[in-house]
Amino acid sequence: MSNTSPTRPEADGSVSLVGITKTFGNATAVDHIDLEVRSGEFISLLGPSGCGKTTLLRMIAGFEQPDEGDILVGGASVVDLPPHRRPVNTVFQSYALFPHMTVAENVAYGLRQRRVPKDEIARRVQDSLALAQMVDFADRKPTTLSGGQQQRVALARALVNRPKVLLLDEPMSALDRKLREEMQIELKLLQRELGITFIFVTHDQAEALSMSDRVVVMEKGAVQQLGTTEEVYRDPANAFVAGFIGKQNFIDATVSSPDALTTADGSIPLHRLPQGVTSGSSVRAAVRAEVVQVSAQRPNGPALQGTLAGISFLGDSIQYVVLTASGLELIARVSPDRAEHLSTGDTVWCSWDASELRVFEAAA
Amino acid sequence: MARRKVNGYAAIGFPTWAYVVFFFIVPLALVLWYSFGYKPDLFTAHANDILSFDRYAEALDATFVGTFWNTLRIGVIGTLLCLIIALPFAYWLAVKMNPKWRPLALALVLVPFWTNFLVRTLGWQIVLSPRGFLSDALQNLGIIHGRLDILYTQSAVQLGVVYNYLPLMILPLYVAIDRAGRPLREASADLGANRWKTLFTVTLPLAVPGIASGCLLVFIPLMGDYITASVLGGAQGNMIGQLVASQFNTAQNWALGSAMAVLLMVFTAAAVIVFGAAGLIIRSLVRRSRRVQLQGGAA
Repeated sequence: MSNTSPTRPEADGSVSLVGITKTFGNATAVDHIDLEVRSGEFISLLGPSGCGKTTLLRMIAGFEQPDEGDILVGGASVVDLPPHRRPVNTVFQSYALFPHMTVAENVAYGLRQRRVPKDEIARRVQDSLALAQMVDFADRKPTTLSGGQQQRVALARALVNRPKVLLLDEPMSALDRKLREEMQIELKLLQRELGITFIFVTHDQAEALSMSDRVVVMEKGAVQQLGTTEEVYRDPANAFVAGFIGKQNFIDATVSSPDALTTADGSIPLHRLPQGVTSGSSVRAAVRAEVVQVSAQRPNGPALQGTLAGISFLGDSIQYVVLTASGLELIARVSPDRAEHLSTGDTVWCSWDASELRVFEAAA
Repeated sequence: MARRKVNGYAAIGFPTWAYVVFFFIVPLALVLWYSFGYKPDLFTAHANDILSFDRYAEALDATFVGTFWNTLRIGVIGTLLCLIIALPFAYWLAVKMNPKWRPLALALVLVPFWTNFLVRTLGWQIVLSPRGFLSDALQNLGIIHGRLDILYTQSAVQLGVVYNYLPLMILPLYVAIDRAGRPLREASADLGANRWKTLFTVTLPLAVPGIASGCLLVFIPLMGDYITASVLGGAQGNMIGQLVASQFNTAQNWALGSAMAVLLMVFTAAAVIVFGAAGLIIRSLVRRSRRVQLQGGAA
């Protein structure tokens, strides 16, 4: 192995999935997925449980065999290699630390398998534990550690092998929220520093958005959208992605003209129609809760009228729930310093910038 | 408050400790007491008006010692055979088998226990008899020449004990291997260990408590077993349990029988302690080989 650059010492860490299909009995877990993961990027597989994201990760690791398709790591096919011969390492959801070994022994395990000399093992275990800030716990058994500490050990155990690609299977799902947010920042910094490709599986959209360079939104074994975090957030490809990323209000409507929609509660303006949607067709419009403004006075532009059904203080924002005359429920999240003095039962107007409205075909 | 709680538990536990006291501690104490007595005449089994260690001296004759070594050999070989047979089976059951079929497989393991111990041992008499079907089949296949000559030998006893005690080894091993779990095996593979390395560095070390309890469950009752040896061993395959039983049943010498029983318990316990110590030494050697000495102190 030649060290070409100090930040990216290892070889090409790109991952290519070509036409991957996996079925369990009658259920198709992964359906003809093609995916190009760039070397050194942080990519998240995001989707609800059962969308096939974990199966996809397990196929890259080698724990499941795809029915069809090829998996390439660094340009070489690994699909016929058993897990122990693949140039990837995994951080497991349950951490899967060996309970009969100390923290240091756990971290040394992978190096032992590759017959790394003893003094090099000691040095690399030391470095890896330092990276994870777990040096002081080297001689402890994993069962005596907290969830966050166990996760750091799992991370150190995987990274000590200097894999081309690190696979992370919902590694933060067992942590409490505060710790999770801290670990998200640390993990992202670590990934930048090491330049290793991270493939991160999560069902938590906030987690995916906060850490990833790109996000793969999955549903029913298929990729719904692949894009940067910003693209996925600002320009969701379909109603599913829109609903999964951020808090969305969905409004069923009909296209009355190229620049307006008719809803049960009146007309709302439209910035642009998506391709293939014509006047008269039924659509699903989506607007994120963060861009909805709620006011007691009718604003200048078009707005939907409703009754304020609930107010909750979320800390960084105030959440309003507005019920329109047709029974549509609109959620608005307004920053506290911009919120008007409103109380439940008030008649209010909901408005938003027309460019924030996304329109999807109703079938989606 | 706390005190009342403790009393409450003691009350709930009454059946258990009553059982242990009346059916284990009291009989054991009686056996110990009788062992210091003697057999006064032909029609009396024991007397304790004169106490001595004479019965122990009497018990430790050449026959007893020879039979004890015999029994120990059968016990150790039997336990090892059970372990060797049960390990792959328990691994297969816990790791490879479709979970759907596991309850059925476990039930099949336990089926022999639904039959009386004596009856299922007697069954082997039919199988192993020189004119039995196994003998005929082996002769027809040309594996042996002449009739099968195994019944009423130590080999038959060895076979019988392995058969009788195998489920007691399989069950704890199955539980231990099952508890180690798939995620740990996957983590091991992920870190570059092949199947065998994973077996020897993760699965088996985690199964050690199960292996230990399986070995105890087989070895200890096996050391005291006299039915298997009586039924299959005849005159050649004598086990120590038979000697004890014959003192109580045939010779009606409870004092001598008690002394033999106490010696059997002490020797068996000593054997367990020796094997346990050996196990601890092996464990510490394995741990030492695994240890990672970090350079420097905290970073």
